[in-house]
Amino acid sequence: MQFKLIFWGLTIFALLLIVALPTVLFLGFAMLPALVAGIIDRTDEKSATFCVGGLNFCGVFPYLLDLWFGDHSLSQAITYLTDVFTLAVMYGAAGVGWMLYLSLPPVIASFIQVMSERRLEQLRKTQKTIIQEWGEEIITDADLGGGAMPPMGPVEVEDDVPNARAEAPA
Amino acid sequence: MAESPMDADEIADNDPPPSGSAVLRDRFLIDGSKPLPTFDSPNARAFAVEDRRDLSRDLFALITTPGVPIRTTEIRRLKSSPGNGIIDVVEWGTVFWPTLERRTTAIIFERPLGGPALQQIRKGNPRLTEYDIPRKIIQPLIDGIRHAHSAGIIHRNIRPDNLFFLDEECQDIVLGECVSAPAGFDQPTIFEPIERAVANPAGRGEGTMVDDMFALGATLVVIITGRNPTDRIKGEDLLYQRLNIGSYATICGNAKIPMSLLEPLRGLLADSPEDRWTIDQVEMWLSGLKQTPMQKKSASKGDTPFRFGGRDHVNARTLAHAFNRQIPDAVQTLKDENFHAWLKRSLRAEELSETLKGFIDNAVFHKDDYQGTDDHLIARACSVMDPYGPIRYKGMSICMDGFGPMLASEMIRNGNVQDLAEMINRDVWQFWTGNRASFMDTIDIARSFTQLKSWIGINDPGYGLERCLYEQNPGITCQSEYVIEESVIDIEGLLPALDQAANNADGRSKPADRHIIAFIAARFNEDIDPHLRALASPKEGTSVIGMLSILAFLQWKLRADPVYGLASWVGGVLGPAINGYHSRSTRADIEREIPRLVRKGSLPELFDLIDNAEKRQEDQEGYSDALDEYIACAMEVEEIEGTGSELAEKAEKTGQKTAAMISIMTTMIAVSIVFISEIL
Repeated sequence: MQFKLIFWGLTIFALLLIVALPTVLFLGFAMLPALVAGIIDRTDEKSATFCVGGLNFCGVFPYLLDLWFGDHSLSQAITYLTDVFTLAVMYGAAGVGWMLYLSLPPVIASFIQVMSERRLEQLRKTQKTIIQEWGEEIITDADLGGGAMPPMGPVEVEDDVPNARAEAPA
Repeated sequence: MAESPMDADEIADNDPPPSGSAVLRDRFLIDGSKPLPTFDSPNARAFAVEDRRDLSRDLFALITTPGVPIRTTEIRRLKSSPGNGIIDVVEWGTVFWPTLERRTTAIIFERPLGGPALQQIRKGNPRLTEYDIPRKIIQPLIDGIRHAHSAGIIHRNIRPDNLFFLDEECQDIVLGECVSAPAGFDQPTIFEPIERAVANPAGRGEGTMVDDMFALGATLVVIITGRNPTDRIKGEDLLYQRLNIGSYATICGNAKIPMSLLEPLRGLLADSPEDRWTIDQVEMWLSGLKQTPMQKKSASKGDTPFRFGGRDHVNARTLAHAFNRQIPDAVQTLKDENFHAWLKRSLRAEELSETLKGFIDNAVFHKDDYQGTDDHLIARACSVMDPYGPIRYKGMSICMDGFGPMLASEMIRNGNVQDLAEMINRDVWQFWTGNRASFMDTIDIARSFTQLKSWIGINDPGYGLERCLYEQNPGITCQSEYVIEESVIDIEGLLPALDQAANNADGRSKPADRHIIAFIAARFNEDIDPHLRALASPKEGTSVIGMLSILAFLQWKLRADPVYGLASWVGGVLGPAINGYHSRSTRADIEREIPRLVRKGSLPELFDLIDNAEKRQEDQEGYSDALDEYIACAMEVEEIEGTGSELAEKAEKTGQKTAAMISIMTTMIAVSIVFISEIL
């Protein structure tokens, strides 16, 4: 299976080299940050690859269009690749991707933390209300173990029956 | 004190009764200052009574001894069918008797103006000759016995000091009362047929007509001779002598009996119930028809005596009586070959000997269970040695139809109740091999004891020995400590008595103990099994609801008056039942409502409040929904919290994904814009 994949990959790559050598060469160098990100990102979600690769491609795409709709030659591709400004745009976009990848999670995490705590507070309040109305036996009946019991103050359970005798007619 | 003059059944419609007295049914003033000792019974004191609606009536009341079961069925029958030959019951009921400082049963009778018959006869008033006895004594007494039997009553209290002259001229003799104690309980042994005389007084049983006939015969001997011919024979000696030489020979042996009366006395004092004269035979004799002369039968005797328990025995019946008193010695004797040799040679009872040996072998075979015990072995042995006698077990002797009063007697005096329970549980009654002439009697007894065994086998309230006690003794008062002083005989009296008891009750105790529940189960003719099942529940709440439901059912069915005290008492112990509701707000609502219903004295309404089906269903459904919601919350909490640093990791991953998403989206937008601008 893997052999087949490698075979067809090499075949397509060879065909692309034959048909669109300038594009392949240009993309090969221009998308190097994305390639590096893909190599170093060992997670299943490949968030870093997508983040860096996406913005990297964003920086590459205008020049790729110029190549396709303009002079689609090897010299033009090399011209772009040797132009500092072009490289700065393409790799800078990839850098922005890295920055985004590195800076956004803590912000998002803090936001989620705040949201979760608010939700937890709401859920515990609901649980407390339920226990006040239905008693602590609901915890036992829920069969969730002690961990499910919310940390809170004593529940006021009115277990004592008033002494009706006291109010009986003499 | 409310209980004496102010009770519902005792409120005097004019003057309050003088102290030491009581008023029954607003009408009969029982005057405690006027005792009538000549009308006393062994277990009841007699007092003069004034009928406030008819002051000309001569009445007296018997104030019964609390704790001694009275014969309520017989009282009702006598009251509903007054007749000649027997003293009339005018009224009965419970009253507060100041001397006893508690309630007890009072039974009002027509007062016989002539007084006790024996005293008058001894005084020569009327002067009786042997020719007067059949017409003036025997005929009216036979009329009385016949009347009682026609009303379904076996008198079982016929003796010389319980006969009275209705008129001042002492011409009209009647039988005295027979209702103030269990059948035969008050009878000296001379007036009991031998098979019942050997039983414990409380266990002598209801008996049959032939038992009354024997008592009549013995009574006649005392009247004829003017004295008890056996009064010099003390204690057990009388029983042994009667067993050895026969009752007729013992009672009439040395007495001067007119020849003309020998025949009926021999017939009436026959030890065999089959041979004993019946009412019809006596009436035939009275009308002058000669009976086939009864051959004088002496009890079967052995050739030589057998010594046991300090006495010489010449028959197996006396030995059975003695064996039951000295069980360890009896077992030794039973295993002794000399005893069996005596049985075979002297009594010529080889079959009996072989049967007893079989019992010994059986006991050895069952040595590890109750059938191998000495008590069981001797009970079996006694039953075959004295087949017409009572069942004997662990020193007790009980006739089959006397089990109820015996149980009552033992329970009331905290006696040998356990042994009686064993008699039921171990089927000791099945040893009874006595008079089975009536097949239906046998079936009835088997059914009765099977029922007792089933009750005693259940330990729940409403069953057990208490249930047996009340089922077997219709005339016993409820023995619950709450109402024992109120002398509750009928189910109608229970709720008012409990209402009264509420004044002194400990608020934490339930107003229905085992005696009260068993009393209700025995006396209340409705199906209360579902209530009993609830009452027996191990859950306290269900048990309390069961108790309330029984009492409420009782009040509703009997249309009883409001019971304020009892409702208050019940209201105080409803905590576990209220806690049966999950919802705290429902509990609070119920708790707020209880005092209002307590003030109404209505147990059914209280029950409806506590155990409302609709409310219960709402509560259950609400609880179920709340439980689901609680579980959902808990699961969400768990999901949010996770464990340890999971939340931080989760937040970081979410951030990374968000960054990737933003990047991809930005790219797609930018690429699209650039591409479109390039094309255009």
